[in-house]
Amino acid sequence: MIDAERLKILTESAKYDVSCSSSGSARANKAGGIGNGYAAGICHSFTPDGRCISLLKILLSNRCSYNCLYCPNRADADVPRASATPEELCELVMAFYKRNYIEGLFLSSAVERSPDYTMERMTDAVIRLRKVYNFNGYIHLKGIPHADRRLVSRAARYVDRMSYNIELPSEKSLLLLAPQKSKESVLLPMKQLAEEKREDMEAKKHTVLPAGQTTQMIVGASPETDSQILRLSEAMYRRFSLKRVYYSAYVPVVRHASLPDKCTGLLREHRLYQADWLMRFYGFSAEEIAPDGENLPEAYDPKCAWALRNMQLFPVEVNTAPLEMLLRVPGIGTMGAYRILKARKFASLDFADLAKMRIVLKRAKHFITCGGKFCGAGSDASVRTLLALGSREETYEQLSLFSTPELAASALTGQL
Amino acid sequence: MNLYLTDGSEEGFFTAAFRACTDADCVVTSARNVQLAAGAELIDVQTDAERCERVRRFLRRYDARSLGEISLLLRRGCATKEMTALGYLRLIVQRRAPVRDMLAHPAVLEAMSEIKKVTQEAHRFKGFLRFMECSNGIYYAPFEPDNDVLELLFPHFARRFAAMPFAIHDVARQKAMLSDGRRRMLVHTEEKVDIPLSEGEQTMQALWKEYYASVNIAQRPHEKQMKGYMPVRYWKFLPEKQEEPKRPQ
Repeated sequence: MIDAERLKILTESAKYDVSCSSSGSARANKAGGIGNGYAAGICHSFTPDGRCISLLKILLSNRCSYNCLYCPNRADADVPRASATPEELCELVMAFYKRNYIEGLFLSSAVERSPDYTMERMTDAVIRLRKVYNFNGYIHLKGIPHADRRLVSRAARYVDRMSYNIELPSEKSLLLLAPQKSKESVLLPMKQLAEEKREDMEAKKHTVLPAGQTTQMIVGASPETDSQILRLSEAMYRRFSLKRVYYSAYVPVVRHASLPDKCTGLLREHRLYQADWLMRFYGFSAEEIAPDGENLPEAYDPKCAWALRNMQLFPVEVNTAPLEMLLRVPGIGTMGAYRILKARKFASLDFADLAKMRIVLKRAKHFITCGGKFCGAGSDASVRTLLALGSREETYEQLSLFSTPELAASALTGQL
Repeated sequence: MNLYLTDGSEEGFFTAAFRACTDADCVVTSARNVQLAAGAELIDVQTDAERCERVRRFLRRYDARSLGEISLLLRRGCATKEMTALGYLRLIVQRRAPVRDMLAHPAVLEAMSEIKKVTQEAHRFKGFLRFMECSNGIYYAPFEPDNDVLELLFPHFARRFAAMPFAIHDVARQKAMLSDGRRRMLVHTEEKVDIPLSEGEQTMQALWKEYYASVNIAQRPHEKQMKGYMPVRYWKFLPEKQEEPKRPQ
């Protein structure tokens, strides 16, 4: 069994990778085997930084021959080094999994000796888990750039998800900060895997990457704008059918002249994720969310910012608006929109009904009417002020004993 | 006013509902510590298979899915669960049709939000349940859920750990479900169960704690979010949230 010291080193080296989801694969348990996939994903714990632990996120080795500037494990860095054997790793995964600590394994590695050597050892570990330990839980495998494409194909048949990190949002930045990686070394395997998965699906075999591919990029280490980043994500979602793009706000672990020495604000990361959700679940395009060359505004969430730029489309009538339009109302999420669609079949909805249905009206009320009634602020300018981050709606009213019960109820919910 | 006191079972509830459904301002509950209002009459409900079946048949006819929903509602760990279920049932009786999409109706709203609390907790424990390896090779997981979710949770682990003997123990409700890989059973337990752990168990828990501490990014603290996703009341059985025992240097 691996010792605590090496576990610590190999975990600390892996923790900056954001992806942790265990969703998308419903791999069944086999006779005599242990584990299965759970399509919705399961979080097993949460760390004090607010992130979930779903998978055992670990490196096979942090002895790296690459020298990416932003990376704490780069070859020139003076950090403790360690590696685990595939066998040690399998034992750890099984012991943790049987105790329900984890949903599976997220295996990554530094490029030790050569990309092929590294990829071979990682593949050895996952095949051993599947065949020797009969493990059918979730496995996410990080792809190593420049590794032989046959190795990549082989690995893809045993794991649920693979990811190549695009690392930085432009080729120029990649060249500057991660000189041994190239755009092709990341994008070509992604393309290859996307094609192999498509063929596998067409042949109805479903053995290649049931949970698809994801990628990750660091935000704020290089000068690209949010609009550039979102366009890149949009293109990757289209071309490689990616399941997710992860954004990671830059944390300076390493000091260097080419790198900023401040953390990128978490708000920027949060806004990018909001925008990403708008592209995937709300029918927005990158173009609509972030006009060319612009960053996302920090004061408003991206949907609200879009609505404020397009006030001519509002207000929409909640009782008749089509789903696509409801989804574009700031404050109404996918669940809220579906709830409205269901409820309005039975009765015309008013603001009190929406409040009872837990539709948050703080933003929505400025963009909707209920049965023709409008409850928002009078002018676009006042909507802007009211909704800007940090502004408080100071519109409390002293309730009299003789207030109507409906008013009292709405005062309790804080709406209207 | 009538107060129907049931034994807490689904059958008891349906028996009570047979009359309570049209008994306008009655109360149905299984809580043993109810305060009897002045002038209230206490009716101790004895489960009646025929009445129970008639209510169920009615539901099967007009909205079969509601049987499952009411079963979930009755798993809530609060004294008003029967009233929530009754409110939902009454609306189905009144409309003789499924009502679950009437999301602006108070009875439906309450039923749906209470169901959500049960299913959400069952889902959370798919992640938060922690097994310990016992010296006899069985993996044992104690927990104290707010709602009665043991039976909802068990099939998930039965699939996952099909070839592994394990037991899940609802400590507060004093019941446990066991699987030895082939048979499954439900047993009633004592309040305290003493189970000797395997030799390697402490080592694994220590490794897990080490992992938990190492994977955290200390520069980005967000304790509030952690507690939001993983409420403090669930920490009791999580090894990673227990105080570190003092290790000799």
